[in-house]
Amino acid sequence: MKISATEVAYVAQLANLDVADGEREELASQLTRIVQYVEQLETLDTDAVEPTAQVVAREPHAEREDRVQTRDGSSVAAETVGLFRVPKVIGER
Amino acid sequence: MNLKKATAGQLAREYREGTATVSEVISGVFEEIERRDPELKSFLRTRKDEAMEEARAADRAFAENEPVGPLAGIPLAVKDNLHIRGERTTCGSRILEDYVPTYSSTAVDRLRKAGAIVIGKTNMDEFAMGSSTENSAFFVTRNPHDIERVPGGSSGGSAAAVSAGLVPVALGSDTGGSIRQPASFCGVVGLKPTYGRISRYGLVAFGSSLDQIGPFSRSVEDAARLLDCMAGFDPMDSTSADVPTSNWSGELDRPVKGMKVGVPKEYFVDGMDSGVREKVRAGIETLEGLGCEIRELSLPHTPYAIATYYLICTAEASSNLARYDGVRYGLRVPGKTLQSMYRQTRMAGFGPEVKRRILLGTYALSAGYYDAYYLKAQKVRTLVLQDFQTAFETVDLLVTPTTPTTAFRVGENTDDPLAMYLNDIFTTTCNLAGLPGISVPCGKSQDNLPVGMQLIGNHFEEGKVLRAAHHFEQAGGFRG
Repeated sequence: MKISATEVAYVAQLANLDVADGEREELASQLTRIVQYVEQLETLDTDAVEPTAQVVAREPHAEREDRVQTRDGSSVAAETVGLFRVPKVIGER
Repeated sequence: MNLKKATAGQLAREYREGTATVSEVISGVFEEIERRDPELKSFLRTRKDEAMEEARAADRAFAENEPVGPLAGIPLAVKDNLHIRGERTTCGSRILEDYVPTYSSTAVDRLRKAGAIVIGKTNMDEFAMGSSTENSAFFVTRNPHDIERVPGGSSGGSAAAVSAGLVPVALGSDTGGSIRQPASFCGVVGLKPTYGRISRYGLVAFGSSLDQIGPFSRSVEDAARLLDCMAGFDPMDSTSADVPTSNWSGELDRPVKGMKVGVPKEYFVDGMDSGVREKVRAGIETLEGLGCEIRELSLPHTPYAIATYYLICTAEASSNLARYDGVRYGLRVPGKTLQSMYRQTRMAGFGPEVKRRILLGTYALSAGYYDAYYLKAQKVRTLVLQDFQTAFETVDLLVTPTTPTTAFRVGENTDDPLAMYLNDIFTTTCNLAGLPGISVPCGKSQDNLPVGMQLIGNHFEEGKVLRAAHHFEQAGGFRG
């Protein structure tokens, strides 16, 4: 698979990254080389193989009763009202 | 004695017997850092005032015969992706340049409770993505054996600091070899424990199903001491394993005679340095001389490990690093819209390798490619794991080279990301399978650079790994 500069721009948008016009071609060629390398996995027949998401998974995962734990904040707002101050993140798109 | 090359075990004895004080050792550490580190650049920041204060407190405890921890007064360097509450964690990145965590990592916390004194935070490839420490946003760390060469990575600062004798022990993290490969390049011991053995709470996440914290040291015994203090269940990490721990440092002398050690043929590939091959072969003979039974075997899916690893780690990284958007952490570059703030922050804050991996991971997870790349890699991960499970039905340990080459020159691989990735060819398998692995020095190549030998054990069998490594170190006289 060859990755084009247009695809780099599309994936960058998905990843919330700005890639400068001048960087796209180089990234496309670097990513193409890496993707062509990883495509060697296609030669393995894995139809009957279950995927592994995590090794040494202990079941059940550590669970505990949910309880509020206080922690010192690092923002100025936290010192006054016990909250973290963040920029507005809703209402825009 | 020469305190610069003393192990943690030797320092502990000196303190107990009153032949050295913690204050003189810690102050000696900072003198040595001032002398050597302008050239090596292993530390990003040091904490002299705090460390000297802690040293005086330790000396008072020794003087008054108060109970002290097993690591009382031991100087420790910490990779800069592990949190210490109220002190900066940069992760080698501009995006976290001014980030001050509000909590401490369990691993560092446990070592400090055992008495260790944190000297400073060490340099690393940005977000632990790299094999040379050249991807640090701040500066390049040099290999103490040859300053024209890299120390390896991503925990290159910790490896270099231990190798140069600045500190006896240090912490790193290993996602695809980031402890074992720099340990090999710098001629020190580096242990990656079983996934889940040490809590990852307070470690900046890179590849969450692969990341594991571990020690660097100049003796296997010191690595075992640190593991003794760090291991064990932690409710703050949901993948922390609730399994029994051990007194590993106290069990190193138990015999290794009769231990079955497998030599996987796929780890002796064309294109590896002849010096590496020769020293590791000699190391295997040493193990045989200790009474281990050596068996050739095959781990047939080894050649697919790098491809599998780079799909899984980049996919996990792209998801983990989505949190650095300028809203809650570190750097924020204001934009006209929310979207432009996100993008400009990430554009300014991430270096080229991090962006490359986020792009690759996003691509592998994106609609239309998920099955072909990410799911495929997870399936091959199963095959890699099964190879090991089959091997451990007949052997106790596996022995391999840690890396195919010795330390390469600064700048040698920076233009070729794939060539850099191939450095991890012998180390990523342990992470994919979650197994414990150690790199121990096994001599020097023709060009006088350290060679590392890797021992791999079954899940939670750090005891066997450490024991064989310890006997090997004693037999070969390889202590750094």
